[in-house]
Amino acid sequence: MKMYEIMMFTGGVYKFNELKEVVEDIGGFVLQEMVMQSETMMHLAFPVEEEPRIRAKAKELGGKLKELPLAGAEIMVVVPSLGKHHAVDPMCDVAEFLRRNGAITNMIGLARGVGKRIAQMTAREKAIIEECDAAVFVFGNFKECLTEKAARLCSGLEVPYLIVGGPPESESDLAESDLAESDLGLDLENYVGGVGRRAERMRRKSEIELLEKMVEALKEVLDEKKRELEEDPLAASPLFVKEMIEMNLPPKAGEELPIVIHLDGLRVKVGQEDEERVLEIEIGKRRLSEICEMKESLYSGHLLKVLPEAVTGSVF
Amino acid sequence: MEVKVEGGDEFANASYEKLCNLICRDIGVKGNIDRLQMFCNAAEHIFILSVKIGRVGSPVKVRDVTQREGKKLRITNEKYAPELLALLWDKYGKGEEEGEEEGVQEGVQEGVQEGVEEGVQEEEGDGERGGERVRQISRLEVGFELKEEEVAELMELVVSDPRDDLTFKILDGIDRILPEGARVRHPVSTAHGVTILASENPIKEEWRATAEKIAQEMEGVNENV
Repeated sequence: MKMYEIMMFTGGVYKFNELKEVVEDIGGFVLQEMVMQSETMMHLAFPVEEEPRIRAKAKELGGKLKELPLAGAEIMVVVPSLGKHHAVDPMCDVAEFLRRNGAITNMIGLARGVGKRIAQMTAREKAIIEECDAAVFVFGNFKECLTEKAARLCSGLEVPYLIVGGPPESESDLAESDLAESDLGLDLENYVGGVGRRAERMRRKSEIELLEKMVEALKEVLDEKKRELEEDPLAASPLFVKEMIEMNLPPKAGEELPIVIHLDGLRVKVGQEDEERVLEIEIGKRRLSEICEMKESLYSGHLLKVLPEAVTGSVF
Repeated sequence: MEVKVEGGDEFANASYEKLCNLICRDIGVKGNIDRLQMFCNAAEHIFILSVKIGRVGSPVKVRDVTQREGKKLRITNEKYAPELLALLWDKYGKGEEEGEEEGVQEGVQEGVQEGVEEGVQEEEGDGERGGERVRQISRLEVGFELKEEEVAELMELVVSDPRDDLTFKILDGIDRILPEGARVRHPVSTAHGVTILASENPIKEEWRATAEKIAQEMEGVNENV
């Protein structure tokens, strides 16, 4: 069963501290907080059963609550290169839309990802992508290229992925024989079509709908991973671990997103001098080193992978 | 500009047609291209892009963008002011501006008061400017000290030629349109345009022949037009 619900609160600064207090009282967390003059935005995580209480408080303060289907996940947006053919459109539209739905996004342009026959991904690139919870590949317009690239670049990945490309996806209601003959549809796993190469921003209604469809597809991909985690629960929720790390190692001034939450762990951006201190932090009756595996990230900070409760035993 | 894309599936053709239009608009050559034709064969990774260059604006001369008022020129089209001034200063030398002259005198006086070294520097600056014959009086006024025959020659100088960077712009546009992986290129140039065959594989003779044929067809279209 899902433990925490993550939602975004937007509203005025008037009495918003009361909402923070309510969240803390019910055992929830404030994941992100941004105050812009008289406006405030917060990402809140709280136990699912307490949602009515949070909604009532938000209503009392005159603010809005929005569900964040991708919250708590770090997503890698992968493009064949960072050249003008792929950047900034549509890769930035895709990444921006994922962020609006709660995800923390990174972008990577492959060194040799262009073309059809010559497209490839290095072992290091693959390892970097696999550090995140899921990957979104943004490809071009040709069906032939997409099919070959998907097989070569995506299928070997150990994390869930979604492919965003140009050709429309095949209609599921078409009979198989029709599908084979159909010149239009592209029958790929985890694929959303209609985007492809772009030379301008995606801002029309039909284009926004495409991006919404992409978020929906990615949510389904992530839900599968979440279900797997629920079957074999972690020793401690990454949200709780984040809170404990922040209590022991307060974030330095000017540091942005020092701790990024993953579905099954965290990315902690600490210096070498604090590495040992992080592992010594107490989570319930155990130390972090006993319930987590820590390794250096290939590009930013350290990765903490929380082990399942079945391996570590209860922390309380 | 007429755009035609063929060879791919319905979505790819429509999408590349839109891309061609947007990219040509972005780099500002849409009005200079008569026709653009693209042939795509994604299965063999062959892309042929053919461009027929149309009308290009004639060179802009000094007399087109200025009006003579005795020993002065009044700039009538400010868009060309930087290029015009750079051209005239380069050819006839940069004279003192009216505001600048006062500034230099003040500078010399300050230099004398503050120390000998700064004063020396200002004097050297004055010496370099001696004998320069074109100066900017105000934002849109240019003064000159030239003989009548030199003025006639000045009025015929070319300030800007749209042909100069058109080739670079068009080649840049082609590079942006063609898929990034297609790095093996075979250009076919004709009298009124350029055709580029691109692929990620070594290019076979049959495709070269196709590119030549498309280039010739485009030339034929030109003649008919």
